[in-house]
Amino acid sequence: MGSGKSCAMAAVAALVLAVCSPADQAFAYSATGDRLFPATLVLPQIAPGDEFYIWADTLPQTPSGDGTGTRQSSFTAVYAKTITDRLGVVVEETWTRLDRVAKGSWSAMQNLDTEIKYLAIDDQPREFLLTLGLDREWGGTGAQRVGAFSSGATTPRVYFGKGMGDLDIGYLRPLAVAGLVGYQIADSPPRPNLVTPGFVVEYSIPYLQSKVQSLDLPEFVRGLTPMTEVLFTIPAGRSLGARTTALIAPGLSYAGTGWEFAIEGLVPASRASGRGVGAIAQFHLSLDFVAAETIGRPLFSAP
Amino acid sequence: MSNPSKPARLRALHYPLFAAALLLLLAPGLALAAPAGTVVGLSGASVVESGGARGAVKLGQPVQVGDTVEVPADGKLKLRMADGSVISVAAGTRLTIAAYGVDAAGQRQEARLSLAQGLLRAVVAPVERPASFEVNTAVGAAAVRSTDWFVEGSATAMQVGVLTGSVEMTSGATQRREMIPARWGARMEAGRDPVPPRVWSPAEFAAFIARTDVK
Repeated sequence: MGSGKSCAMAAVAALVLAVCSPADQAFAYSATGDRLFPATLVLPQIAPGDEFYIWADTLPQTPSGDGTGTRQSSFTAVYAKTITDRLGVVVEETWTRLDRVAKGSWSAMQNLDTEIKYLAIDDQPREFLLTLGLDREWGGTGAQRVGAFSSGATTPRVYFGKGMGDLDIGYLRPLAVAGLVGYQIADSPPRPNLVTPGFVVEYSIPYLQSKVQSLDLPEFVRGLTPMTEVLFTIPAGRSLGARTTALIAPGLSYAGTGWEFAIEGLVPASRASGRGVGAIAQFHLSLDFVAAETIGRPLFSAP
Repeated sequence: MSNPSKPARLRALHYPLFAAALLLLLAPGLALAAPAGTVVGLSGASVVESGGARGAVKLGQPVQVGDTVEVPADGKLKLRMADGSVISVAAGTRLTIAAYGVDAAGQRQEARLSLAQGLLRAVVAPVERPASFEVNTAVGAAAVRSTDWFVEGSATAMQVGVLTGSVEMTSGATQRREMIPARWGARMEAGRDPVPPRVWSPAEFAAFIARTDVK
């Protein structure tokens, strides 16, 4: 009985985790050479930076009885700061509202999440970058009723970004792929360990206009980057009731001067990921642009 | 009956007018003749084209509006302009001073350089009122009011890097503009929009500083 309850709790936790995963990891632009990777909404940022961004998301869930969630909505704020030109830290906090079957809704904070990132490779001619990250979710800092674990987790990650601009492929040169692979190590059961791979495919209209051919496009279209993100969470070792999840998020990002706004649909590709289509919207501010000579600078940097 | 004294009176009246007109005509010429800047640093055998004549650049030599300086592959050049701005010119650069106007107080009113090829660093002196400092290349223009920045140009591309202040880069073909803040840089290719700017690494700035550093 006790074991069954534990399994049920683990399953609910895994569900919540699956739904929370995108909201725990959003990122802003990164760049290598003439390639700018715009802010994505589901995947973590692929390089350190100075930025502040917020996003809101909502996704229907698969309820499993009275009191279980029917929809989860979150509002997240992230502050990222560079220590040196290649080393940065990220602090993230999420507020969640959980609508439940036959019960009222719950709302509370998720666990505090932090990450340290180091840009290891920046190959500008090939539009390639590689970053090493170490994420730490501080267990017990959020409310369990909205799915926060009492146990923390540490996730080493490898990020990459590759633009196709160095290839002789004409109008496909604005294409780029970015992504990550992470291995989330829980502090203790019943939280499972997870492998968290994800990628985004994007086609940059600003890149098309500036590097391939300037077309007579409307002003608004010139700033757009259509993209589709895909994120998986795969239990590793003892699943503790967790199941593989897959989330597909097609959408658009618009780049202004020092800011970006993006919106995507959230399409669960497995039952464990959610019950219906959700949405996510993000506003991102590049502090290294709007406050380039003050808080937008690395703490320690060559002049 | 003719009045012989009338032409004499007219001539007497015309001389001062003529003299005044001549003075007015000459005044701008005199102003134009004032040096736009002075060579304060030099290495290698740079050449200046002035009034159709070519000659070797010498330390302390004034440069005028309309002059073109050519810095050889093994040379560098530094100019102190009339408003206090300092322009460091890298090897392999051809630069024309298209316009450089300062008022009596030494405040810049207009500065326009034409960069046919090569790289320069401009530490632009601040002025009390808006007065642009502009560098034109084959593919576009970059304009600032007060800043420390680099611009490199060729027939097919240009790039701008900003150490302090901000620079606006405009495509000559599409008229699209990008504002580039401190620590950022951007490129632009002929006939296209500017590439969106990004943060430049210290190594990128160091390379430009080394190329324009004139002892």
